Amino acid sequence: MTSDPSATGPPPDPKAGRFDALAAALRRVLLVVAVLAGLGALLPGSAGRAAAWAAIVVLMATPLVRVGWLGRRWFRRGDPRFGLVAVGVLAVVAVAALLG
Amino acid sequence: MTVAPLVVLVLALACAFGGSLGGIGGATLLVPVLLALGVDPLAAAPVGLVTVAAGSLASASRPLQDGLVHHRLGLTVELAASSGAVAGALASTAVPEVWLARVLGVAALVGAVAALARRGVRNRPDPTFHGETTGEWPGTLGGQYALDGRIVPYHARNLPGGLAASLVAGVVAGLSGVGGGFLKTPAMSEVMKVPVKVAAATTTFTLGITATTGLVVYGEQGRIDPHDAAAALIGAIAGGLLGARVQARIHATTARRVTGGLLLVVAAVVLGRTL
Repeated sequence: MTSDPSATGPPPDPKAGRFDALAAALRRVLLVVAVLAGLGALLPGSAGRAAAWAAIVVLMATPLVRVGWLGRRWFRRGDPRFGLVAVGVLAVVAVAALLG
Repeated sequence: MTVAPLVVLVLALACAFGGSLGGIGGATLLVPVLLALGVDPLAAAPVGLVTVAAGSLASASRPLQDGLVHHRLGLTVELAASSGAVAGALASTAVPEVWLARVLGVAALVGAVAALARRGVRNRPDPTFHGETTGEWPGTLGGQYALDGRIVPYHARNLPGGLAASLVAGVVAGLSGVGGGFLKTPAMSEVMKVPVKVAAATTTFTLGITATTGLVVYGEQGRIDPHDAAAALIGAIAGGLLGARVQARIHATTARRVTGGLLLVVAAVVLGRTL
C-alpha cells in the first residue's frame, strides 16, 4: 500500500461545511416566507393581511439576524474590527426606523 | 395600486425569472414595468424592494456553500449602501414623481449597459494555493475562491471608491425600489478588483440588507401594501428559483444580452413617458 496523497486527493478540509447550517436555515426561512406570503395572497380580510405582514416581517428580519450572528461570531473569534462593522450596519437600520 | 395583486404576482414572477437569467435582479425590470403600466412610483418602490429582499433570500444558500460570499467585505460596503438607502427612501417622498421616474429610467439604462458589458476573468488561479479551502481571510478584505478546480486568491482594493459606488447604489435603491445590484456588482468587480463571482455572491447577500433598510423607512411612511407585497413575494421567489435552474442550462452571455435588450426597451418606455 502507498500513502501517496495524490492517489487519495487533498486532505480533508477542516473548514468544509462551515456555512451549511446557515444555508439550511435560510432555506427553511424561505419556505416559511413563501407559505406566509401564499396565505397572505389567498386568505381574505384581516387573516390574509396578518399573514402577509408576517411574511414581510420575517423577510426583513432574516438579513438583520444574519448580520447580528456574524457580528457576534467575529467578536468571539477575535475580529472586533469587523464585529463593529456589523454593529454599524445594524445601527444604520435602527436610525432608519427612527427617522422614517 | 392601479394593478391587481394577481398581475403583480405574474409580473414579479416574469421579472424575477428574466432578472435572474441576466444576473441583474428582478426589481430592475419590475419597477420600470410597473411605472410603464401607470403605477405611482411611490407605490411601485416598496413592491420592488420586497422582491429584492426575496431574491436575496432565495439565492442565498448555494453561494454560501461554495465559499463565494465575503461577509466582511459585504458588510463594509453595506455601511455606505444602507446609509444611502435611508437617505434615498426619506428623500423619495419629496422628489417629484417625474424625477423618480427619470431616476428609474436611468437606472434601467445603467442596468442594461451593465448586463451587456459584463465579461472576462481578471483574477487567475495561483498554483501555490493548491489544496486549500475557499472563503474569506479573517480580519481582512481578502480571500480565495475556486475557479475550474483551482484556487484563486484575491484582495479588495480601492475601498473609498467601492464605498462611494455603494452609497450611490443605496440612494438609487431607496429612491426608486430597484435593488442596485447592477451598480454594486460592477463596483465591487471593476472598482475594488474583486472576482466577479465573489462580487455577485456578496452583492446578493448585501441586497437583502439594503432592501430591508429601505423597507423600514417605507413601512414607517405607510407605503407598504401587504397584499401587493405578498403577491410580489410569491412571484419573486418562484421566478427567482425557476430562473436559477434555467440559467444553469443556457449560455450566460445570451441570457445577459436578452435581459440587457429588455432593459433598454423598458428604459426607453419609462424615460419616454417623462418627456
